Amino acid sequence: MIKKKGFAITMVVLLLMVAALAGCSGGSSSSDGSKELTFMFRGGTDEQKAYKEVIKKFEEEHPGVKVKMVVTAADQYATKLRAAITGNNLPDIFYFAPGDVKAYVNSGVLKNLTPYIEKNKDIKLDNIWKYGIDLYRYDGKMAGQGDIYGMPKDLGPFALGYNKTMFEKAGVPLPDKDKPYTWDEFIKVSQELTKDTNGDGKPDQYGTGFNVQWALQAFVWSNGADWLDESKTKVTIDDPKFAEALQYFADMQNKYKITPGIEQSQTLDTYQRWMKGEMAFFPVGPWDMSTFEKLPFEYDLLPFPAGSTGKSATWIGSLGIGVSSKTKYPDEAVELVNYLTTSKEGMKQLVDAKVQIPNLLDMADEWSKDTKTKPNNKQEFIDIVNDYGRSLPGNYTYNAEWYDIFFTDIQPVLDGKITAADYVKQEQPKMQKLLDKAVEQEKKSQK
Amino acid sequence: MITKSNLYRKEKVYGYLFILPPILGLLIFTLFPFVYSLYGSFTDWDGLGQMNFIGLDNFKDLFSDELFYKSMYNTLFLMLGIPIGLVLALLLALGLNRKIPGTTTFRVIYYIPVISSLAAVSIMWNWAYNGDYGLVNQFLEIFGIKGPNWLMDKDTVKPALILMTVWKGLGYTMLLYLAALQSVSRSYYEAAELDGASGFQMFRNITWPMVKPVTFFLVVTNIIGGSQIFTEMNIMTPTGGPEYSSASIVFYIWDKAFKNLQMGYASAMAMILGIFIFIVTLIQFKMNEKSSFDGD
Repeated sequence: MIKKKGFAITMVVLLLMVAALAGCSGGSSSSDGSKELTFMFRGGTDEQKAYKEVIKKFEEEHPGVKVKMVVTAADQYATKLRAAITGNNLPDIFYFAPGDVKAYVNSGVLKNLTPYIEKNKDIKLDNIWKYGIDLYRYDGKMAGQGDIYGMPKDLGPFALGYNKTMFEKAGVPLPDKDKPYTWDEFIKVSQELTKDTNGDGKPDQYGTGFNVQWALQAFVWSNGADWLDESKTKVTIDDPKFAEALQYFADMQNKYKITPGIEQSQTLDTYQRWMKGEMAFFPVGPWDMSTFEKLPFEYDLLPFPAGSTGKSATWIGSLGIGVSSKTKYPDEAVELVNYLTTSKEGMKQLVDAKVQIPNLLDMADEWSKDTKTKPNNKQEFIDIVNDYGRSLPGNYTYNAEWYDIFFTDIQPVLDGKITAADYVKQEQPKMQKLLDKAVEQEKKSQK
Repeated sequence: MITKSNLYRKEKVYGYLFILPPILGLLIFTLFPFVYSLYGSFTDWDGLGQMNFIGLDNFKDLFSDELFYKSMYNTLFLMLGIPIGLVLALLLALGLNRKIPGTTTFRVIYYIPVISSLAAVSIMWNWAYNGDYGLVNQFLEIFGIKGPNWLMDKDTVKPALILMTVWKGLGYTMLLYLAALQSVSRSYYEAAELDGASGFQMFRNITWPMVKPVTFFLVVTNIIGGSQIFTEMNIMTPTGGPEYSSASIVFYIWDKAFKNLQMGYASAMAMILGIFIFIVTLIQFKMNEKSSFDGD
């Protein structure tokens, strides 16, 4: 008898604990009776500070709602979010990557925001970047259309910056902000600016230093090639135009020597070299503006050099803010999302903190015309969003494994150990196999 | 009679109550996830939606997965650090076991890496290994050697990681050896000295057998820990290193599960890893049984 009873007690306790664990998800009432929302996000220190301020303001304007913020390091964010989903312990409001929309909608993680947005008269969708909203639309089959499952936190047009002070010192004519360099011109200018300034026989000022993972797209696209075909089911890196762009990218280091060599090519380095004023060209994202404010030199934006299409190209990053489908307070949660993404008050604070470009079209227009703040040519950011920016290839597919492996294997090309032409030939079937798997997975998740 | 049985009953209840927390912990945080993961390994679960049973498909796919073999090989390769670490630590412990001034300082120095956060240590070594301004290459330059870009070259990234893990674990291993050495009775050495044994003979016939239980413990725990190595490469080579040359098996599992929506496949790999660790540990216990030191 005793044995049985003890066992029963154990089981009951166990069940209670499991139930308690499962019950952790979603919003909860805090002790003083107000509605508590959890908001999980990531960002640099300046960004975090800006968001904390905005949320404080939101709480002031919405008595009875408390927001608990969970901040994680950028590289751990995705893992933490996935773990929260798997553990059924999702925050009410959270950032997510546009590439995850399909998977999260198919598995019922995200709340459909459309009815809430339609209900709210303060939101004018036609005053927000269409590109940004479309990133978070999905109709169950195709991304980019249908209901809205998130609002863009912002858009991150990845522009090219240049060190104006360095140009002036070297007597090199400043680049034209409306006419991109050709590839040849870009090499020529970079070579002029690659210099040994302290006479130790090694250059300590370089033309540029791109990170392949974030800058190769600009060269591939402007040369008329891409990673994927229209249907997003075929890997097209074996296109000669693609190989040509990749070879050009690798040659910047090996042939033209306008970037730090193999030993110096780590990302950390090039970012720091740019900040120290030892680099003529370097990509600039809007999130860098607050950091670059304190640069010891003048900088401005220009379009990326143009390949055989004659047109400049680059990508636009974005993060969406979504609401958990299991939240207890959907109205309040959506209200917060709107405050952060579409309200004038919220947006103004974030833009003033120099961590992003405005989401609102009228505000963006005004902002880009303000030439008193750095960088002067903010219009370039706006042009990228309006005219020629694209989404990263990995965003189109159910997972980005096929795309990631391209960069995992690329070091020998950058080091000049194999040619770009050989690389794309050897890599295409490998990537295609992984892409096929992703496509198959997506089909399975739809039913 | 009745009182006795009441007492017995009461004691029994308290007994169960006392052991309940760890047992619950084991059930909830170990057994339940284990069973869940075991089931997951037979499904196509993406970590989000529903699980569809697909039998042994994941395991079949594993055997033709190049990256699975690669990360398994990397993991085994990194374990080369284990014997290196053991030998170094034993030598250090022998040195620090002597009655010479300053040993306490050295003990502290060797133990500092152990208590430091692994993440912080990884970031520090990341700088040290930088090809351009890193400490390691600057040191090599003194001897006129031009060091490679350690973490960006597929030939040097693994040795670089081994060096770091050895450095990190040295203090802990040394401390255990030191404790073992100090528990060896002086009388053995005195007797051997009387018999005219050389220093090496004393080490071979007294010290080595006496510290054997510690060696065994270290080998077992190091291999288990080594199979699960993750944080170091996740911080130092966040994409798995050039051509995936520094990705460990746990790194690959994490990659699949949390980045690429293949929780089922990742679970299958975790099962294989679990079986691997179980078998290796079993072999070690069997070997230890066979050659165990009877003087104990």
